Amino acid sequence: MKKNSLGGRFLIGLCFLFLYLPIFLLIIFSFNKGDSSAVWKGFSLHWYAELFHNRLVLDSLATTLLVSLLATAIATVAGTFAAVGIYSLTKKWRDPVLVVNDLPMMNADIVTGVSLCLFFVAFFHGWGAIARWINSWQDLFTLPEQLHLGLTTLVLAHVCFDIPYVILNVAPRLRQMDSNLVDAAQDLGCTWMQAFVKVILPEIKPGIVSGALIAFTMSVDDFVISYFTAGSSTQTLSMTIYGMTKKRVTPVVNAVSTIMFLAVLTVLVINNIRSAKQARLAAKRASFEPVRENPRVERFKEWLYTPRGRFAKRLTAVVLCAAFVVTTVFLTAFTQSQPVVNVCSWGEYIDEDLITEFEEQTGIRVNYQTAESNETMYSLLKSGGADYDVIVPSDYMISQLIEEGMLAELDYSQIPNFELIDQRFRNLPYDPENKYTVPYTWGTVGLIYNAALVDEEITSWSALYDDRYAGQVLLIGNSRDAFGIALKYLGYSMNTTDEDEIREAYELVADAYERGVFQGKVMDEVFQVMEGGNAAIASYYAGDYLSMLENNEDLRFVVPEEGSNWFVDAMCVLKTADNYDNAMKWINFIASTDANLRNMDYIWYASPNTEALERYPTWYEEQYEEPLDPAIYEIIAAPQDVLDRCEMYLCLPKPTRVLYNDLWIKLGI
Amino acid sequence: MRNKRGWFAFPYVIWMALFVVIPILIMLVYSLTVEVDTAAGTALEGSLENFTGMTLYASVFGRSFLLAVIATVICLLIGYPVAYLMSREGPGFQRVAMALIMLPMWMNFLLRTYSWMAILENNGLLNQLLRKIGVIALYNKLTGSDIDHFQMLRTSGAVVLGMVYNYLPFMILPIYTVLTKLDHRLIEAAQDLGANSSTVFRRVTLPLSLSGIVSGITMVFVPSVSTFAISRLLGGGTQMMLGDLIENQFLGGAYNPHLGAAISMVMMVIVVICMLIMNHFGDGEGEAVML
Repeated sequence: MKKNSLGGRFLIGLCFLFLYLPIFLLIIFSFNKGDSSAVWKGFSLHWYAELFHNRLVLDSLATTLLVSLLATAIATVAGTFAAVGIYSLTKKWRDPVLVVNDLPMMNADIVTGVSLCLFFVAFFHGWGAIARWINSWQDLFTLPEQLHLGLTTLVLAHVCFDIPYVILNVAPRLRQMDSNLVDAAQDLGCTWMQAFVKVILPEIKPGIVSGALIAFTMSVDDFVISYFTAGSSTQTLSMTIYGMTKKRVTPVVNAVSTIMFLAVLTVLVINNIRSAKQARLAAKRASFEPVRENPRVERFKEWLYTPRGRFAKRLTAVVLCAAFVVTTVFLTAFTQSQPVVNVCSWGEYIDEDLITEFEEQTGIRVNYQTAESNETMYSLLKSGGADYDVIVPSDYMISQLIEEGMLAELDYSQIPNFELIDQRFRNLPYDPENKYTVPYTWGTVGLIYNAALVDEEITSWSALYDDRYAGQVLLIGNSRDAFGIALKYLGYSMNTTDEDEIREAYELVADAYERGVFQGKVMDEVFQVMEGGNAAIASYYAGDYLSMLENNEDLRFVVPEEGSNWFVDAMCVLKTADNYDNAMKWINFIASTDANLRNMDYIWYASPNTEALERYPTWYEEQYEEPLDPAIYEIIAAPQDVLDRCEMYLCLPKPTRVLYNDLWIKLGI
Repeated sequence: MRNKRGWFAFPYVIWMALFVVIPILIMLVYSLTVEVDTAAGTALEGSLENFTGMTLYASVFGRSFLLAVIATVICLLIGYPVAYLMSREGPGFQRVAMALIMLPMWMNFLLRTYSWMAILENNGLLNQLLRKIGVIALYNKLTGSDIDHFQMLRTSGAVVLGMVYNYLPFMILPIYTVLTKLDHRLIEAAQDLGANSSTVFRRVTLPLSLSGIVSGITMVFVPSVSTFAISRLLGGGTQMMLGDLIENQFLGGAYNPHLGAAISMVMMVIVVICMLIMNHFGDGEGEAVML
């Protein structure tokens, strides 16, 4: 056989360069001093140190390993038995079984994920009735009536897509095996179980091992199926990363991945060296040269067949099994310790030290999740995928949730800190009698532009639709804000239900879209894009602008003259909450002046707490020993004359919501 | 005694019925119903509305299939030569190369895709490089335009790149597996009978590696056509694909699982039909996922 010329190797090299270029970048930037993934600021190991303090990443890493280990173990055992079984079936039965077996692999991941999600949700619906019925006639034990997507469903889903890989790897070994061997074993007095253990298993062992390896790799790498079946309270590493890719991936994730990558690399290198050695040995054997094994190794091998050796072998196996069980139990305990409160909020919307502090004070574990938008959270709640206790939706979504009877009334006697909330932020239209909510933050939506890329001072929304900025504008990625701004620009109310007005707003946006004004539709991606100077104009929230300003000083913020939206995000508790009292404690903790000050400082959104809002400039000076720029304070807490220009979103009637949705989808396609 | 072991398959058959067949049936039920408001709340009603209303999304279907086909073809054009060249190397080289192809899977695919964002951004590494070596200035001079970057991210090209990057190993692996198992006596026989190297490749190697190609195409095309993370990260919300559409119905703003189920159903049927046609040319699926 001809070996490749240099050109051939060069081609292979190019292909590997393509495959590894982004990976090298990831590894390099895990040692970056700054938190950017494009700007090198010097070498540092602090992301690796940070890793051990980052709860979100560690938790999700533990979940990933736990799920993958469990699923692989179950799938390997089940898959091996299934493969042996399938290959003992007659052809008539075997073929249809194999076709169904192939289905999860042939199908797109998203179809498998979606179908499993629907299956679990349907099962939970049915389960409620069964549990109630069983609970009604016996009191020995009570079954939970409400089930949620979570760790169990996640493991089931993983087992589901892992088994076919095991079967596929075991099957060829079975096909190659001489079936007479089993008959021979049984003729010699083995029971069929003994024959299975002593004859079949050793023959198919390599297949089982490679099947388990593939299954494990697939489990660790999987995102789509986990995404649909994990629900809200369980997060694998991929899901955490997906959440982060929208805003900023912290280099901590790079660090974790680098460690995993290097670990696997080491295993592979060792494996390679070993198999290379074996290949050399085999070659020697083939050439009839006497193979001289290390005498120690030889003695060890002989020893293995003595009774003591056999005992040692068994002991090792038992110890390994025990280690596996202990690891799983430990990981389970690590991921689900009690008591808890499940909180759902937005990305980077809390000073994470507050979570730790609350946990230390109360001993309640906070399961802190983030949703992408009000609409996403609503979908999750509706599909039964979420078991949140506390959620922090915006005003209009709150009134929709109240309307649909999804919120529980709060027990204000447990929330003394509610008294600290400013009168301006009580009894607002979304909750007129203030029975369901405690405000978390408030703020305005405005226009952000990069003064280095825009020559004029922008004061109007018209810049968003202006051809002069073609390809430089980012459209905000949710229908309510995108059309609301257009309505405001056209001089209509943001809460209009008039179809013609809404269609006119749509035409404005769609027309600009077609002319290529918008570079993209973004939500939290706006941070990276604007900070990196990759787009000139965007519309987003005032608090987030200030976060961006820290990384790019050229950015400017304006609440345009036509007016804008002002919003309140408030904490509410769901009717389905399992941890109502813990939820009250959490809400009370967050409503305190201290927590409000620290949150305000961390996320730059205005606090509804009277004292915190007033004291913030002095507090800032105490903390940083420099005065707070009044212009910045004005952006955080918009003065009354700006608020007068702004409108709060109200809950739109269903037909209008449907119209918004239809138009929004039409825009995207 | 064979039949006794046949019972080993029984639990798995039940498992499959429960977790493979029934979920698909439930999805079918969802796709054939809509939620209607009644006095007592909401109720389900049988309807074909989900399917008839899908014409609205024809362009999304079109884009998904077009981009996935382009990505698959590119993967094949890169993957086949690489697999072919790899299979002609020595065993040591092959082992290392195989390991190197599997290894990226241990770096989360979202993270790898995210890394491309840093490369392709308007002020990203690639544009910076092009600016430094003067390519952008040269382009401005040649075309008389005035740009300071090439818009690479948030275009369909970026989405295709993401697909090729992520799924290329799935094209190389099955083809490589088939090529290494190729019986070299056949090639020698062809040469002995007077075929030159291009004829050998065309008449012997290529037809014999067809099953690898088929499973490679399957393994690249199916995830490409259904992706939502890649189009979202690299397409910047401007390149809506079928996956985005489905995700949007389940966990996104649109919330309509019935429509989402219907779209999934259609996608599944189209994919299965494609695969049946493909399998006509060779039977390969299994080879691809074996170590």
